Amino acid sequence: MAMAALRREGRRFATPLLSSPIRSSIISHSHEEVANGVRSISTQVVRNRMKSVKNIQKITKAMKMVAASKLRAIQTRTENSRGLWQPFTALLGDAPSVDVKKSVIVTISSDKGLCGGINSTSVKISRVLHKLSSGPEKETKYVILGEKAKAQLLRDSKQDISLSITELQKNPLNYTQNVEFDALKIVFNKFHSVVQFMPTVSTVLSPEIMERESEAGGKLGELDSYEIEGAETKGEVLQNLAEFQFSCILFNGVLENACSEQGARMSAMDSSSRNAGDMLDRLTLTYNRTRQASITTELIEIISGASALEG
Amino acid sequence: MASAGGAAPFWRAAGMTYITYTNICANLVRNCLKEPFKAEAMSREKVHFSLSKWVDGKPEKPTIRSEGSEH
Repeated sequence: MAMAALRREGRRFATPLLSSPIRSSIISHSHEEVANGVRSISTQVVRNRMKSVKNIQKITKAMKMVAASKLRAIQTRTENSRGLWQPFTALLGDAPSVDVKKSVIVTISSDKGLCGGINSTSVKISRVLHKLSSGPEKETKYVILGEKAKAQLLRDSKQDISLSITELQKNPLNYTQNVEFDALKIVFNKFHSVVQFMPTVSTVLSPEIMERESEAGGKLGELDSYEIEGAETKGEVLQNLAEFQFSCILFNGVLENACSEQGARMSAMDSSSRNAGDMLDRLTLTYNRTRQASITTELIEIISGASALEG
Repeated sequence: MASAGGAAPFWRAAGMTYITYTNICANLVRNCLKEPFKAEAMSREKVHFSLSKWVDGKPEKPTIRSEGSEH
């Protein structure tokens, strides 16, 4: 009882002396520092912070491992799928700067967060494209794949969204949506290496535009030199080709974006683990300093008490 | 073969796109496989996403298209 009273007295003296963050820790004393009651600076707060930072570090390390393993799985699929649209580019040419009336911008993003800045770059580029291709009698609409781009584009471009698709889990090759378009620009993050992702725009033209281009000569004009088997006309072949091209490019875009997402998440989690490690070091220093200060204070009190008794 | 000579193939007249047509054909081919290969092909067929059309800046109710293989 007397000890408790002494402890309470010590607390009342201690509170105005110490700085405010430590003050709250006086209330939550730990038993080792108490010793014989009186003033002692508690390291409880610092220790709690250290524990939570260490847990966070473990979690981010685990997330990095998970992202790395998912990346490995997706990467082979992505590299294989690149072969799907390369013949299209060889045959039809890639035409990013074709002037069209109605264009649709398909923005591919991720559903989950914690993946660094890739979603913001995709959204930024989509906005730029939108500005570039709007003017009199031209209209641009968005089709959004993924939650993250939806949240960002919702803020200012609400009127222009025509479709949004989320929860893309597996990688389907079934695209049965039909959006009317003249030119379709797909914005995604192309995967170059684990730390480098380039935001890319791929363009898919509708069959009418392709016909127009092929009349105009150039690469598309070579299409005439191919013989068309069967009883279909060139227009129909072009239409089928265009849809298939759209689905291939979209498939590849989604895969590449998934790769980039995992890679970005890996590097983001890696840097956050490193930051947590740094924070832990700094906290350890503070902890040791506080601990040594409290020991020194106790020693001083004991020694001055002892010398007061003698003298 | 398309004996209609110049007219649109039957599926295009029915409103399907080329992609839906090829997907249905692919499903049929997958069903013809024998047992060990059939299972892995079926796993490739599954798709799951939730689609919602936007009208005037407001999303309509999302429809979840989760096509697994029912065969």
